[in-house]
Amino acid sequence: MIETPANTAQESEPTGGGSRISSWLNSIANKFRSKDFQREIWHTVVSILIALGVAAIIMVATGYDPADAFSALGLGALLNFDQVLWRATPLMLAGLSVALAFKCGLFNIGAEGQLYMGSLATTAVGYMIALPIFVHQIACIAVGIVAGLLYGLVPGILRAYRGAHEVVTTMMLSYASVYFTQWMVSQGPMHNPGDWRSITPVIYDTATLPKLFGSSFLSFGFLIAVGSVLIVDFFINRTVTGYEMRAVGSNEDAAKTAGINAKRNMALALGLSGALAGLAGTVEIQGYYHRFYDQWSAGLGFDGITVAVLGRNNPWGVFGGALFFGALKAGGSFMQTSAGVPSEMVQVIQGLVVLFVAAPRLVTWLSKHGVDYASWIKAEPKAGVPSLLSFGYAIFGALLGIVIIGPYVSTNFSLLILGFFVSMASLAVMAFHYQRDQRRTSATFAITLLWVLMLLAGFVFSAGEVMITSAIMAGIGFVFSVLLMRTQRSELELQEEVNV
Amino acid sequence: MQADIFSLALIGWLIKTTIQSATPLVLAALGGMYSEKSGIVNIGLEGMMLIGAFSAVAATYFSENPWLGLIVAVVAGGALAAVHAVICVKLKGNHIVSGTGVILFAAGFTTLMLDVIWAQRGVSDEVTRLPQVIIPGIAGIPILGDVFGSLEPIVYMMFFAVIISWYVMYKTPFGLRVRASGEDPSALDTAGVNVETIRFIAVIISGCLSGLAGAYLSIGFGSRFGKAMTAGRGFIALAALIFGGWTPIGSFLAGTFFGFLDALQGYISLTIPELLPYNNFIKMLPFILVVIALAGIGRARPPKAVGTPYEKEKPA
Repeated sequence: MIETPANTAQESEPTGGGSRISSWLNSIANKFRSKDFQREIWHTVVSILIALGVAAIIMVATGYDPADAFSALGLGALLNFDQVLWRATPLMLAGLSVALAFKCGLFNIGAEGQLYMGSLATTAVGYMIALPIFVHQIACIAVGIVAGLLYGLVPGILRAYRGAHEVVTTMMLSYASVYFTQWMVSQGPMHNPGDWRSITPVIYDTATLPKLFGSSFLSFGFLIAVGSVLIVDFFINRTVTGYEMRAVGSNEDAAKTAGINAKRNMALALGLSGALAGLAGTVEIQGYYHRFYDQWSAGLGFDGITVAVLGRNNPWGVFGGALFFGALKAGGSFMQTSAGVPSEMVQVIQGLVVLFVAAPRLVTWLSKHGVDYASWIKAEPKAGVPSLLSFGYAIFGALLGIVIIGPYVSTNFSLLILGFFVSMASLAVMAFHYQRDQRRTSATFAITLLWVLMLLAGFVFSAGEVMITSAIMAGIGFVFSVLLMRTQRSELELQEEVNV
Repeated sequence: MQADIFSLALIGWLIKTTIQSATPLVLAALGGMYSEKSGIVNIGLEGMMLIGAFSAVAATYFSENPWLGLIVAVVAGGALAAVHAVICVKLKGNHIVSGTGVILFAAGFTTLMLDVIWAQRGVSDEVTRLPQVIIPGIAGIPILGDVFGSLEPIVYMMFFAVIISWYVMYKTPFGLRVRASGEDPSALDTAGVNVETIRFIAVIISGCLSGLAGAYLSIGFGSRFGKAMTAGRGFIALAALIFGGWTPIGSFLAGTFFGFLDALQGYISLTIPELLPYNNFIKMLPFILVVIALAGIGRARPPKAVGTPYEKEKPA
């Protein structure tokens, strides 16, 4: 489980200032200075970079230019900064929802459902009841929050008092709510009369949130989201209930022994988590869509999980994560129009980021072996340098194996499979070298043979550039294999002498 | 047009559709069972099914041989599961986060590749389907002929997989080890078995079965790949797994029941079209039932060590 050591560390730090507010502000400053926090930032940044690297390889393999794509992505995000903030608004709230539940040791994977229920309730109040301007907006927000709260309380109570696992129940209730809202806005009572789409009527103007800075996307909802970050941070770290929730989350039995009502806190945590998810849906409806239509969110609840993961379940981390994914989403449409890369690439990047952030030990593993490897090369250059050369060869091979099949993706299946194998084998060789595994020599020889196979395949399918590249790569591979074999033998002899 | 509710042909059609809708659910649920029995939560079934469905169509498109497509689907599902396994087993990452990543990646990647290979955004070109298994001589028999006259081969594989899984899980040393690594990994470790290897294999099996389930959707029942074509079936399979109490036979029965609910919608639209607007409530049933099952009876008990990474004790 990803627990943020930053929070536990900050508990012991002395807090200056008399009032709770100033000590809370102090703690935020301390958090940025703490070593744990900086290490987490470092891990997250490395994970994102690895994910972007893998995404770049996928782009090369599918025939897109990663440099073009990434620059379009960045430029798109900068040019449409109001869209970035608009996209980040629901992400931030949904991310807070998942993070808050996680603080109590619960995984609210069905934020999507609570978001739908909240936004449906908001829409109902928004178009069915006429109220004065200020009251109407507040009423809509309140109803959205309450609807999300109730829909989150159901799995919360089931988890606390019946032991039903929240991952399963929230997920199932989320799917149930998608079908329920679909019915409500198509055949059910909230369908816009005479419309062929599954859609509700538009909410009254009095219920909408005003736009900010004259943008056509960004609304007042963004300020609500930022305010929620502050409130959730304060609630989690500076209130008794927040403390109890964290205690239950880190050790349920210990919390019970200390006299904390774990069950009540669990139910409440999922309820509040649902409320935040409901608010995420509410501000989207009031700020941008102004009506509910079937499946409008397209996975915002799921995105909330990714934001919380990226932010390590920390409110300020969620803030950063939401801005990052918001930028990816806003840049994605620009990337599609200007670089011709489908916007689904953004979803691929998102998935990769989550996968790499999910494995914090990968970065630890990389840095630990990296230091070992570097010091080994320094200490024994005779064995180290051929290994380093062959390591570089493997990197090159992993990329070339994919690049070379680019033109044949849609025509030649055998070349595609072969190129894929060469790349995978090269990755394995890289790992062997990195860990200084003895199998690196035979593995290097194996890729050499694969390149020879590729050469033959190129000959059979009369693919000129494949033949030339394969011949060169096979030649280099052969030289490196011989070099490695010789150094490894001398290394083994050396070890035997030491043993004798 | 209102058909007779109890006509034999219609009942045969209902049974056949039930089996067909149940096939991907049961296969994926069986896959989930291997993974969860070994202690690794796999909510990425949906993503593995998607990758399987896509690779089946892509490989069939290039090689024009649906059987090769079937194999590639199984391999692709297994490969994506291997990523999940590396993160959960080797790197001790969070299972649910990793599963979410798998789903997101698969959803994005398959849609991206649709654009790359067929330059289309919604659906792929049509490819050759797997040939139907036709049992000669029973076509004339009522019900039996309607149901088993001509079915997809993966349906029979599904029945086979249920029996094999039951045998493997309860009658072989490997099954015992999988169950032990989900219940009490330290005991298994003490017995000299590598917990990580067992979990790794179990997760990969789960991916292979999910890939097969995906292939059924794309080249078994249908003949093309569509964006997000699994439509939550991975999660219904997860529900079937839980509803079936984490056992092969239970998963089969629950999967068949959910398949029946699916078929029922078609049946209702043929027989009582007035009820058609309420179809969504039938769609909601599997999800609601699972919540009730988990909350009410408490009989559905997951493997004890599920979701917790196993850390081998350091030698003193």
